[in-house]
Amino acid sequence: MKIHRTLYSPVIIAGIFLVMVSLSHAGTGDFEKLRKESANIKTIQSSFTQKKTMKILSKPLVSEGRFYYAAPDSLRWEYLKPLRSIVITHKNNTKRYMASGGKMVEDKTGGTQAMKIVLDEVTSWMKGKFDQNPSFKATFHEGTNIRIILTPTEKSMAGMIEKIEIILSPKTSIVKSVKITESANNFTQIDFNNVEINKAINPSVFQDVE
Amino acid sequence: MKCVSILILIIFILSCQTLPLINPSVFVINENASTCPFPFLEGKYRLIHSIENRMFGETQSVIIGVTLIDSSTRRVSCAIITAEGMVLFEAESGPDTLKVNRALPPFDSEDFAKNVIEDIKLIFFAPEGRLHEKGTLADSTMICRYQEENGDWIDVIDDKLKGIAVKRYSPNGILKRQIKFKKIAGDTYQNIELQAYETFNYSLLMNLIEAQKVEKNFPRAKHSRETKK
Repeated sequence: MKIHRTLYSPVIIAGIFLVMVSLSHAGTGDFEKLRKESANIKTIQSSFTQKKTMKILSKPLVSEGRFYYAAPDSLRWEYLKPLRSIVITHKNNTKRYMASGGKMVEDKTGGTQAMKIVLDEVTSWMKGKFDQNPSFKATFHEGTNIRIILTPTEKSMAGMIEKIEIILSPKTSIVKSVKITESANNFTQIDFNNVEINKAINPSVFQDVE
Repeated sequence: MKCVSILILIIFILSCQTLPLINPSVFVINENASTCPFPFLEGKYRLIHSIENRMFGETQSVIIGVTLIDSSTRRVSCAIITAEGMVLFEAESGPDTLKVNRALPPFDSEDFAKNVIEDIKLIFFAPEGRLHEKGTLADSTMICRYQEENGDWIDVIDDKLKGIAVKRYSPNGILKRQIKFKKIAGDTYQNIELQAYETFNYSLLMNLIEAQKVEKNFPRAKHSRETKK
């Protein structure tokens, strides 16, 4: 399956975030329980801080944004700074917008359709079908925090992402951070804060760009 | 049919900008370039820009560009990152080499890497070629014309109203690149517009996010694709 690679990052993060909220309740490898508990999640909203680390950067490039999800398949992944961009999927329709000349314009690179393919995968994760995704092998580690490591199983993905680590809070069982490692010196750390589960989200969040 | 072909040819020729005539206030082969417009960086810098790609009059995509440059060695490292943090392209270039450390489709062609590095050098580095001509254009703006080793022409134009522009022409005088520095609050690199004249013309609008003076040497990747330029 060929997927527009530039779109992988936010969608994978979003998908993992969603899955892990329920996965955290499920316990190691208990995918059946995970699937059942996923059904209880109606909405998720959160702020996030993203730190991009690369050899070419002397310090991480920091981005900030907001994340919204409403069952069964509405999602908004929004960067507020330094570069404003929004991915919205709603009613089987996915669009990406970028700030241009003081307004938000739709991504014309043709990646939206590809993003839909990725989001379909994400949706299956959200339904707890995490163990059925052939693209990643998942391992669970319990310590101070709960750590889930995903490693790609397909060669095409392996050249792009080395591994993904998800850290869950042991007390609240809510995802704390996601680290996507592209190579040894190139990784993206996303820390979530003010996570709210099942709090009402205005439907316009998934329809209006501004 | 023949008339249509001739008409198309005439339109094509007229649509191509060619080397403008310079009124030579001074014309000497070994002319000192010290009085020429100089929008170029001196020293080592790390610049982070948002880059808006426009084609057919519409914004196609917006990405983040990181550029690490050293004017004394003419070394360049660069990376193209999505807003979401995915590295699409990473490369470094020395005087004779070009290393591509990472290139995801559609940025994985060798031509793309070469063109990116050449564009960065055109924007930030002073021309390597000799000063060929200095003078004014028909509208009285000051211009210095350089000729590169490969025969390309580079015009550096200082328009008091529009700001400084750099233009690269092919050896036979066809405009290939045009760069405009829109000076905002005293920073030359705050707002840069690159116009590329290719089979499909496109433009890049670069807005500065962050600029840092660099003290350390450039990092070098261990695993990469290296080619002689």
